[in-house]
Parts: sequence; C-alpha cells; structure tokens
Amino acid sequence: MNKPHLNRPQTATGVLLASLVLPGLAALAAITPLRAAAENAPEKTTIALKYGSYSDSQPGWDRVKATAPQVYVQAPIAGEWSIEASGVVDNVSGASPRWHTQHTQLSGASQMSDERKAGDVKVTRYLARAAVSASVAYSEEHDYISRALGLDARWSSDDNNRTWTMGYGTSSDRIDTTYSGGSVIDQHKRTHEFMGGVTQVLTPTDIAQLNFTRSIGEGYYNDPYKTLDQRPNQRDAWIALARWNHYLAQFDASVRSSYRYYSDTFGVQSHTAGVEWVQPAGRWTFTPGARYYSQSAANFYLDPILDAQGQYDQAAVFARAFSRIGSNQSTDQRLAAFGAVTLSMKVSYAFTPDTVVDVKYEVYHQTADLHLGSAGSPNLDPFNANFMQIGLTHRF
Amino acid sequence: MSRWRTLRFDFSAMASPCSLQMDGRDEPVMRRAAAAAMAEVQRIEHKFSRYREASIISRINQSAGLAAIETDTETSGLLDFAQSLWSLSDGLFDITSGVLRHAWDFKNERLPEPATLQGLLVRVGWQQVELHGNQVRLKQPGMELDFGGFGKEYAADRAAAVLQSHGINHALVNLGGDLHALGERGLPELQGTPWQIEIQHPRPAPSPPSVPLAQLPLARGGLATSGDYERFFIHDGQRYCHVLNPRTGWPVSHWQSVSVLAANTTTAGALSTIAMLKGPDAPAWLEAQGVRYLAVQQDGQMLRSSVAD
Amino acid sequence: MNRTILSLLAITTLSWLGGCSNLGQVNAWDKGNLAKPMMTFEGDPLDQRFVQHIYGSKENSSGGYGVGGGGCGCN
Repeated sequence: MNKPHLNRPQTATGVLLASLVLPGLAALAAITPLRAAAENAPEKTTIALKYGSYSDSQPGWDRVKATAPQVYVQAPIAGEWSIEASGVVDNVSGASPRWHTQHTQLSGASQMSDERKAGDVKVTRYLARAAVSASVAYSEEHDYISRALGLDARWSSDDNNRTWTMGYGTSSDRIDTTYSGGSVIDQHKRTHEFMGGVTQVLTPTDIAQLNFTRSIGEGYYNDPYKTLDQRPNQRDAWIALARWNHYLAQFDASVRSSYRYYSDTFGVQSHTAGVEWVQPAGRWTFTPGARYYSQSAANFYLDPILDAQGQYDQAAVFARAFSRIGSNQSTDQRLAAFGAVTLSMKVSYAFTPDTVVDVKYEVYHQTADLHLGSAGSPNLDPFNANFMQIGLTHRF
Repeated sequence: MSRWRTLRFDFSAMASPCSLQMDGRDEPVMRRAAAAAMAEVQRIEHKFSRYREASIISRINQSAGLAAIETDTETSGLLDFAQSLWSLSDGLFDITSGVLRHAWDFKNERLPEPATLQGLLVRVGWQQVELHGNQVRLKQPGMELDFGGFGKEYAADRAAAVLQSHGINHALVNLGGDLHALGERGLPELQGTPWQIEIQHPRPAPSPPSVPLAQLPLARGGLATSGDYERFFIHDGQRYCHVLNPRTGWPVSHWQSVSVLAANTTTAGALSTIAMLKGPDAPAWLEAQGVRYLAVQQDGQMLRSSVAD
Repeated sequence: MNRTILSLLAITTLSWLGGCSNLGQVNAWDKGNLAKPMMTFEGDPLDQRFVQHIYGSKENSSGGYGVGGGGCGCN
C-alpha cells in the first residue's frame, strides 16, 4: 500500500457543485477528506540522497570495501502520473572474499577495484483504485552490462481492503571480461520474471501481503573469474514472500515481519525471515531489526578438501576440478549451505514532516553453523560484513 | 523560524461552543489568522441573524408579500445555493420552513395544534420565492427565510478560507460539531497524520465514559452531522426532533443521526440534513452524491457508505 | 524440521486470525493507523535497494519483492 496520500479532487456534482459558487469555497482545496485510496499520485515531489558504505572480512583476507552514493527522485505529473528515477555509483575495492579456490595462482584476479553505475526510471499512471507502471533499468560495470524492463499493475477491491498486483520483468545482460584480461567474450544472460500478489487489510491494525514470483533465466551463469567454475546455463526459480505489518497502539509502533522461501534449479533452497520494530518518539524514529537467512547448497557445489593437517589442499581441489571438467561444478562459497544473521538499527530524525535524515547500521555474520536444521557445508570460513547508510529525504 | 506548536482558540458563536486548532511555527501569524477567522464567523452570524431587525434576513422577511429586496453577492449566492438544495432534495430541504417553529413548542414539550400547523404550512414552500439576479421576494405575507439550516456550516468553510488566506496549512475549524479540516497535522512528530475526530453517539450511555459512535481521521474537507438528539422532546414514548418535513410539518424519525464527509462543510451539512429528511431513501441518494457517510437507523443499526476511500 | 516449523506457524496464525470475526472487513473510517508511513510495505526505496544488492552478491537468493530491477555482475 502506498504512503498516505490525500485523494485526488472529487468530481463536483450535485450539492458540492452548487456550493462552489459561494464566496471563497472554490479556493478551499476541493479534495475529499479521507485518505487512503489504494492508488493516488503522490502530491509532493520527493528527493532522497543516500550514501551507503560496506565493508566485509573473512579470516586471512583483506577486506572488500564498497561505497555507494545513491539519488532518488519521485515527482507527480499532471495529477494522474508520477515519475521515479534513481541512480547509484557503486565503488568496490579490495580482495574478493575467499571462494575457497580463490587463489592468486589459479585465477589471477585477487585484487579488484570496480565501479558500477546504474540508473532506472519508472513511470506510473494512476486510475481509480488502480495503477500501472513501466520501468527501465540500466547497470554498467567494466565487465557486465544489464538492461531491464518492468511492467506492473495493481488494482483494489471496492472497499480498498484487498489489492491485487501483477508484474512482469525481463532483463538482458552481457558479460565480457576482455577489458580486464579475462577470457570471457560477449556472453549473454536473459531472464524473465512473473509476479502475482495480493495485499489484504486484515484488521484496523493489521495488513498482510503474499507474493509469488516465477523467474526463468538462461545464459551465462558461470563466475567469469573462476577458471574451473561451470554452472548450468539455465536457472529457474520459485519465490514466495509473505509480509505482515502489525500496529501496536500502546506504543504507537509497528512490527513488520516477513518470510521468503526461494527454490531454484541450481538446487538451492533458502529461507529468509526478517522482523523490524518501528518506534517513533517525537521527531525521532528508531527501527531495530533482525534477519535470518539459511540456504542449502547448489547441487553442483563442491566442498573444500583439507589435507591431513587441516589445511586447504589446493592440489587435491585442482585435481578434482580437472577430473570433472565438462560437468557443472563450483567452489563458490555463495553456493554452499550456510546460514546468516543480520542485526540492524536505523535512526531517523524529522526536522519537518517533509525533511528527514536517517542513519542505518547493520552487521552481518555468515557461517555454516547457522544453517537451519542440518549442518551447513563443511570447512566454510565464516564471513562478516558491516554496512551503513546515511540518507536525507526531502519533499516539497 | 521557531518551534512547531499547536494553538487552540475556544469561543462561542451561533449558540454553540466553537474552536479553532492549528499547527504552525509563526505564532503572531497564527494569532492574527485566528482572530480574522473568528471575526468572520461573527460577521456571518450577525449578518444573517433573525433577531436583528436590520439584518438582511429580517428585511427580506419583513417585505414578504410586498416588494422585492436587493441583496449583496454573498446573500444572493446563498439563496441560489438554497434553491439548488431545494431542487436536488425534491423539495425536502426548504429554507422557508422556519415558520413551523411557531407550531412546535420544544421548551414546553407540546405537540402542535392541527389548525396552527395547517395555517403555517400555507406559508411554507420555496416555489413561492422569487429570485431574479440580486432581487428576492417572498410572495406570501408571513413567509420567512431561515439560514439556520446551513449558516453554521457555511461559517465553518468561510473561517477555513480566512485561515487559508493567512497562509495557515494545518488547521481544524469546529463550530458546534460542524468541522472543516484545512490540511493534516503539521507537527513533525505527527508525521502528517490527519486530525482525529470523534463522532458523537446519538444515544450515549447515561454514565461516563460515553463511547463515541466512530473515530474518524480527517485531513481535508468538511464533516457535519445531523441528529434527532440536538433538540427534541419525548411525548408518550415517541421522540419529536427539530428536523421537520416541510410538507407535513412533522418531524422525521427514520435516522438517529447522519454524518457526512464532503469537500466542504456547507455541502456536508446540507447533505446530512437532507439525508435525515429523506428517511429510508437517504443511503441511495448519498451514494449518488458520491460522499462518504455514516448513518444510524432508529433501531441503532449503523450504515456506512460503500464509496471507496 | 522445516515443515514442522511452517505448520506450527500456519496453525498459530490461522487460529489467531480465526478469532477475529470481521477479518478483512475494515471500514474506511477505521484505517487511520494503517495509513501511517510505518505501516506501509514499500518503505524507504533506496534503503532496500542497497541492502538487497548486498544480499544478492553474498547469497544465492534474490528477488521476490518486485520485478524489473535489472541485474549486476554479482552472481
């Protein structure tokens, strides 16, 4: 559901029309008083700036640091339209975290400094209790270009207690590492996504949402920097997302919870559960949050091999990889079975209802031990990251 | 600029407790705006008062059956509005029906004499009013115009317009239960939430705390309520309220109260009164007007508009 | 184990919801609290973008929240 908006001007008929001839009454905003229509163009223009900063670490390796200044604008157009645009420049530097075969001699690229520029534009047309949007997105880094298109529609029941959404997205990506001396030339990846969902007002203090997404992708999925990494050229996924916001009057706070189930043809299944408590206090708002994530390993993921001293046995791993050439295989930690926990805290301060500054700090810890139920993949090094965002939002 | 604050001004006007509430940062400007708005309410009350011999209303009434009276733009606008209400309500909303108060003795709780009522009904009927441009004439002697049916609501809108002209963007005008919200709350900590309004219950529990009928967030526009509990008496177990059908002279009894939300209070007030008069046809008629409403039937059952927010 | 947790969650939720007789029939008049910014699902657009981009590059699950976002060279 959208942020609270005042309704569009009511068509004046009957008594209302008659009243507008009275002195001064036409000048009063002729807007129907009760907020909360499902779909209204925003009344104000919003500009938001955000600076994100990320830093991760894994035992024995240098950190990866990234900074990402972002800008976002949303503006109403002609009462029934709105346009949104955003841009981000990600600057990444440092060593890539250990993918247990990431060894300088094998892959050759252990230091990286990369910049990714991305932008997107979305146009929305608002109708009575419905809205339709179209978006385009573009992302470019030296070895990867992505272009995406999205279309989505949402419409609500008469009493505005139920809103249906439907969306379609497609992206076309191009991977080419020749610029940095790699050997991947002009590979492509295409994905299609179909999404359907429903948002339901349950009680005056509860609203819930359920979304299903079907994603179909084919093309180049290998990691271009890992020589002995081969992945299927198709990845289809099913995703189910459930969200619930509950208002607590005694605190004037809300609890926002979500659960996502993901399953794809790489064999990875994951659960993501998150909860946040939004607590306003005067002009301040405090939002502590927690997230738990657990995924199973891809069916072509191979565990690290350790020697008798418990050290990483590079030769054995290499030999295994060679013996499996032509089959799908990967030692990329991202495809292992592990769990992760994030703790976050966001603090925002409203100078005026239209000008808000916010700071958010999160710590992330990923290990095999946190895997839900059975043990995660063996011999996985823990991975830690922390990220922070500072932002300013202004409406006018 | 200094800190955000809320100012509230309570005063009495049109025989009702009134208040202006506003959020803002410039206190001198807010005080000036409030003073101007209160002055505007008093101006309207004074101008259209039945009790002042020299008021425009009194002069029109005194000239009934005689010559036409020339009125100013504001008065002729209100008379045109009354005409629209009369035709849109199929003749139920009729500002010539004020004379019927002579037949109903609310103070002594007495029912009218049939002969008295008949005699008065002859003098009721907007079709007997002649409007030509700025000229108005009541054709029958003894006829009277009464702006009581929309005067307070009109004053609420005018007060809001005055506040708006002083640059006030977050205010709530309340004239005896007729409300106009001029923008949502302005205090930063309230984050643009609407004003919280409680609608009075038509049959509140005798011992406190009495529960309101409904709580309503109001950010912009007018809210007015008509009810059978404002002026009434009970005789032989039957309630007689002050909302009289202009054709029969007898009070309506289908609804305990009707509250209407509309773009301005003048509209909301007129619609709530007409709804009371229309009885069981009210919901369909209000739906056709495209406004949100909350109506309480005689048996206490509540009906709400199906129009989406 | 996953199935048990999910079933328990479903049963608890449904029985809690079942106790509310007017589920889903909320009048416009009563939606004041749902209108508050903290009760929306969208939230801060840039906040989630940044965070989801990080998770997308450190984990193997992405998406489910919306369509048309485009990709990057993370995975």
